[in-house]
Amino acid sequence: MGDKKRITLQKVLTYTLLVVGSILMAYPLLFAILGSFCNIEDFYASPIMPIPKHLYLENYTVMGQASFPILLWVKNTLIRIVWYITIPGIVAMFGGYAFSRLQFKGRDAVFTYLLSSMMLPGIVFWIPTYIMLARFPGAGGNNWLGQGGSGFINKWPALLIPGLVNVYYIFLMRQTFYSIPEDFEEAARIDGANTLQVMWNVYLPMLKPTLTVMVLFQAVAMWNDYQWPLIAVSGNPDVHTLALGVQRALLSGAALKGWPPGTAIIDYPFTFALATVASLPTILLFLWLQDYFVEGVQGFAIKG
Amino acid sequence: MESTAPLPPAQTLVPGKPRRSGLQRRQTIEAWVILIPILLYYSVFFLFPVVSNFYISFTQWNGIRGAPVWIGLKNYLRYLRPPYTLIISNTLLFAVGILLFQTALAFLIAILLNQKVKGRGIFRALFYIPTLTSAAVTAQVAFAFISPYDGVLNEILKLFGQPIVVWTINASWMRAFIIVYSIWRGVGGPVVLFLAALQGIHREVYEAAMVDGANGAQMLLYITLPLLRPMIIFVLVTGMIGSFQIFEAVLLMSKGGPANKTNVMLLQIYNDAFVNTNMGLASAGSVIMAILLLGFSITNMRIMSRGQVAKN
Repeated sequence: MGDKKRITLQKVLTYTLLVVGSILMAYPLLFAILGSFCNIEDFYASPIMPIPKHLYLENYTVMGQASFPILLWVKNTLIRIVWYITIPGIVAMFGGYAFSRLQFKGRDAVFTYLLSSMMLPGIVFWIPTYIMLARFPGAGGNNWLGQGGSGFINKWPALLIPGLVNVYYIFLMRQTFYSIPEDFEEAARIDGANTLQVMWNVYLPMLKPTLTVMVLFQAVAMWNDYQWPLIAVSGNPDVHTLALGVQRALLSGAALKGWPPGTAIIDYPFTFALATVASLPTILLFLWLQDYFVEGVQGFAIKG
Repeated sequence: MESTAPLPPAQTLVPGKPRRSGLQRRQTIEAWVILIPILLYYSVFFLFPVVSNFYISFTQWNGIRGAPVWIGLKNYLRYLRPPYTLIISNTLLFAVGILLFQTALAFLIAILLNQKVKGRGIFRALFYIPTLTSAAVTAQVAFAFISPYDGVLNEILKLFGQPIVVWTINASWMRAFIIVYSIWRGVGGPVVLFLAALQGIHREVYEAAMVDGANGAQMLLYITLPLLRPMIIFVLVTGMIGSFQIFEAVLLMSKGGPANKTNVMLLQIYNDAFVNTNMGLASAGSVIMAILLLGFSITNMRIMSRGQVAKN
């Protein structure tokens, strides 16, 4: 009897803590989403949690104005997502294959050399990479010595050149190869398949779970990428990525709606609408493919 | 370095000496065909930047024109004087503050979720979702929450009859808010990791302990914590490396103010390099940052090359 009571108390405590915790986690998001459907009066009418009296959509429709380049930011970001999935994905697949399946002299030394980049924080590369892109000979008004212009800074190449070899993904892929028996490759080899055919026909289907995890994490990382675009292209709105463009436009609602000066300094409902647009895709992707995400986070620790 | 699952020797695949050497030659050629482009790229965009960053840190250079001028340790010496000393201690304060609270909270949440809980997936999703948002966007939104006259937090303070806080000029409140925001955005990953590790512990272990008369606290202390040790270390090490590089929250909420009291290394390096165009000083800052993190980075690399953290 007493035992049962204790278990019940424990249950109550568990659920209470979890519910309170998740309310605190969800509160800012819920506040932003509800606030985004409010006009400014409704928004200030209930300051703790804005409740739209009627569904007010202007915060969203105003983004459709031609002067508001959100579709361009989305397009730029999608281009980067595709690029940073394809190239590092292929590199990781073949790199992982070389480090797990191929025997050659110096394999461990080369692998350690690659792995050593993970020992340094990103900022160590940022500054010289920025200078390298800025001083690229012949680009962006530079002479052959890399002087005189701004090189690739504020241009597309700055958004596409760095970070194409992702050592972490090579590592993850190598671990996946180790978990696949070699018999499959041997059988295909006996049938006369070459390495590319083995990769495509034998391994690609088996690497799918790891590749899916990679694709999802790269997509989210690139969708949210802010630091490098801020450094490399903040001077050119035409190549802004979503996170950079949205961050800079979050407080521009009043101007966008053409409010006369003095109406309100900042149109917070618009801020929340824009933040919702920027955040919802990754959240929906997660809710749709939650198992892969969870597996990925675990894989970072367990496999990786 | 040892491989996790060593390959069988090549000769078992194809017997016979000449064939074996043929196989080895094919493998060697293919390996280098794959690796040479990777190594070339990697040397240009990793080795070269690291080496040149180290060199630039001993120079005075705006990065725009002219050549770097050697000034010895001058850039490093500036990090021994205010405001740089304050910036380093702020960074440590944020990193440790975020790390400890976040890890403890994540551990507690994972323990709760590991019980027979209905809707575990929904709870886990709610804790993880903030991690999926853009730090820049949510930091800017969090800034709206601390707006002095119409922000939510001051409305809540008013509700409890407390005086409002002008957050951006109050260093202690600003620090606290940045830490709370960072934990909100960062707690989800450790929750998922701890939960996975907890679910890897077999029920029989606890059942056996219960038969022996162990209570909940003893089981936590003598079973759960020791078995989770590798995962706890992993979470602490990666968490330290992550929270030490706090950037967006500070850039977009306090800009390091008031009077540098919330300024952190990454923001200062960013400002030195790209606002003040003092590349030498910024490079020195990044070298110092790498050195401060080196112990954690080496541990992290060791864990990774060992190949696994928590397969119970």
